[in-house]
Amino acid sequence: MTTRTSTSAAYTAEPNPTFKLRHLLDRSSVVQLAIGIAAMVVATIVPHIFGISYWIGIVNLAIIYIVASVFMSLLLVDAGQVSFGHGAVFGAAAYAVGIACGMHGLPFPVGVLCGIVAALFIGILFALPALRVQWFYLGFVTLSAAMVFPQMLFAFNEYTKGISGISIPLAWMSEDLPIGISTLSLLVLILGIAALITSAVFPKTTLGRRMRVAAASPEAAQSLGISPGKMRFLAFIIASFGTGLAGVLYPPTVGFVSPNAFHLDMSILFFFAVIVGGKGQPLGTMAGITLLYLVPNVFLAQLVEYRALVYGIVAFVVMLLMPSGVVGGIVRWINLRQKPQTMPALQFSQIVDNVKPVERVKDENAIELVDVRKTFGSVVAINNVTLNVRRGEIHGLVGANGSGKTSLLNVLNGFTRIDGGTARINGKEITGLNARQVAKLGVGRTFQTPRIFEQLGAWDNVQIGLDAKLSDNPTLVSPAFVGNLRDMLSRLRTESIPHGQRRLLEVIRVILTDADILLLDEPAAGLSPDERIAFAALLRDLRDKLGLTIVFVEHDLDLVARVADRVTVLESGSVVASGDVASVWNDPKVKPLFVTVRHA
Amino acid sequence: MWQEYAIILVRGIGLGSVYALMAMSFNIVKVSSGILNFAQGNMLVLGGMIAYAATAYFGALSPVIWFLVMIASALIIGVVVTIQGYLTLLPLSHSEDQQSWLITTMAVSIIIGAVLLLAQGPNALMVRSIFPNIPLFGMRVPAPFLLAIGLAIFWYFALQLFMSKTLVGLAISALWQDPVAARAAGLKVRRLQLLAFGISGLVVGSTGFVAAPIITLASDSAVAYVLNGFVAVVIGGVASNTGALIAGPLVGVVAMLATFKIGGEFQGLFSMLMLVAILLIRPQGIFGDTAARRV
Repeated sequence: MTTRTSTSAAYTAEPNPTFKLRHLLDRSSVVQLAIGIAAMVVATIVPHIFGISYWIGIVNLAIIYIVASVFMSLLLVDAGQVSFGHGAVFGAAAYAVGIACGMHGLPFPVGVLCGIVAALFIGILFALPALRVQWFYLGFVTLSAAMVFPQMLFAFNEYTKGISGISIPLAWMSEDLPIGISTLSLLVLILGIAALITSAVFPKTTLGRRMRVAAASPEAAQSLGISPGKMRFLAFIIASFGTGLAGVLYPPTVGFVSPNAFHLDMSILFFFAVIVGGKGQPLGTMAGITLLYLVPNVFLAQLVEYRALVYGIVAFVVMLLMPSGVVGGIVRWINLRQKPQTMPALQFSQIVDNVKPVERVKDENAIELVDVRKTFGSVVAINNVTLNVRRGEIHGLVGANGSGKTSLLNVLNGFTRIDGGTARINGKEITGLNARQVAKLGVGRTFQTPRIFEQLGAWDNVQIGLDAKLSDNPTLVSPAFVGNLRDMLSRLRTESIPHGQRRLLEVIRVILTDADILLLDEPAAGLSPDERIAFAALLRDLRDKLGLTIVFVEHDLDLVARVADRVTVLESGSVVASGDVASVWNDPKVKPLFVTVRHA
Repeated sequence: MWQEYAIILVRGIGLGSVYALMAMSFNIVKVSSGILNFAQGNMLVLGGMIAYAATAYFGALSPVIWFLVMIASALIIGVVVTIQGYLTLLPLSHSEDQQSWLITTMAVSIIIGAVLLLAQGPNALMVRSIFPNIPLFGMRVPAPFLLAIGLAIFWYFALQLFMSKTLVGLAISALWQDPVAARAAGLKVRRLQLLAFGISGLVVGSTGFVAAPIITLASDSAVAYVLNGFVAVVIGGVASNTGALIAGPLVGVVAMLATFKIGGEFQGLFSMLMLVAILLIRPQGIFGDTAARRV
């Protein structure tokens, strides 16, 4: 990256170094976390004070199920992976402890190790099809695995004792410690609290944000240098590790493992708990397990035969009344009662405040295309396009719908492999590179439909740009601007960002990645005339002060005329004209196209 | 030796026809609304329960009564599934969260299973076929296997005709192509989706009744039919009834082979391996659409 070394930093301090809890967790998460931890502690301690062993066991089991559901939620909500087979991961861990400690008399820590290895093994088995298929296809693969799991425990009865099950000689774990609760309860409580904190904090970590981007839009993830496959794989590993930790505590809690305990029903319970409780809410899994496990099994214990019926009806009714789950529904209700949020207009003039203009070598090409060709079947999307974009220029791509503008951007950022010709970016041949590798060359891109994700917080949508930063140098963008933006967005919900502003946030996200070539697909669509003027000024500032090269697709020819240094006109995949605005504008081949475009 | 394979083949195709019918029933709901109705397995079992109840009430059915009760069974399950569809679609119209159907259809399946367990305990019900065994290739094949094959062929042609020749059927296909455009063109989307649920109910209702003697009628047997039906959908390609008609018997024969040659407890494992294999090799299925564009 020869060009970037010349970009000396204008600032040495990181933007907004002061840590604020609000930046990590919103108020709703903090409140939910506090309630959840308090409830777990009270529920664990009170039965110990009164010495009711039945309740001690019930609470421990409920917390274990909550932990498993938390990691189910990480898989489903954060990574977007549908698994109906999470119970098999849990069951494998529990059975490994059973076989190690119950059948072979090994100490519990060894059993824990075996359990985690077993859980990771099943998790990796699930992750492999996930690399290839998604959504309910994956759901069914995992569902069938969950169905087969107990059948295999029966089938290999010489290793598992089959139907008779294994009893677990770990009674010492249930004896009270000097602090008043048992070793087992202490372990369960610590794990439960850790899981709750994980569920609240994980979405705010770099990895959590990346997973959500990869789940919401694999192509946006790739354009930010994130590998969606790697994210999925990691999600399965983390989820099975956490579920494994929960699973190994099951045998000492129940004292017994048998195949019937790990039926499909258990997987469905974990899945239901996440959705019925409220997707993405820290307290969600707790509410889900309380409603779906504690209510039918404990509070209606005398009606044992109606357990499944109550369970089904509770899930059904909750989804009919609160499609976003119990906690999700309550949070929505509270949000609705607050006055609607309006987003203040972004002040772009600040973005390059106090930035020393960057000197970049002007006389080189940032993008060189020679005879580039791309066909889809018999359709020629790009027909022998030869095009140069100089470093530090704003280059407009215009043409009618279907003329190949977006296809050309797709070639430039590596989404589409070309069939012929050569394409060089920052001096590197990109034929054969994928979108992630091209992104690492310093290419950032925005999309025709803005990729602002409601699965992420408002600020997180910008932060993913900083996460994808290409160099260690502090960002060239004014830290004051970044700090103000962070403060403003931290108070906003993503849903309340208007459409036009979403495009601009996406542009800011890409600028923050340090990309020195920006590919913008219709960035000004949906902006008001005033916003367009401000946006044009922003593009000029990015060119003049940050030295960026910008290629943008735009239908607003006035905007193009106002900011572009050069323009390329496309028609049916071919270049009709290319050059400075005035000469292209007066080109006899272009004039009729412009007229039709403007009156279309 | 070859006779054993002939038995496996005929029974496999017969049972596979039930999977094919499950797949077609999945398809029409999926096409209209994108929903995969998990409760459909228990709807199949309910259809079989109607056959059991009819035999208990009327004694041995005469062929005419049998035929009339089959139609009644199709209609009853059709109405039940329509009501279920109405409830499933209800939260989808006012919530931006479009995945509640995953829970609601599974929950209905759990509720039906729980009611069946309360009503008749954990044992499977047996329904005897009123038709004599039919001699074929020198062996005697229980009639329901052949009836199931016939029913699959009947519903295949009926659905193909409906989907390609009637305006309503074409409108349902349009929902699959582009739901937003279909709505903009003035189609009554919700009504078409309910109709699709109803038709899927007719298919499983008649299937459950006809195949009652050869399927397991128990409170917990539904999942296996959902799963095998889904495997048929995947192998045949989502939304392709032609694919379903071919893939169903294929799944059935492999399941039969596994049961006869290795043991019944490995049948589930083989269904799963088939599913994984097809998804890894050709995720769009044999007759499915190719992948859609990304940007």
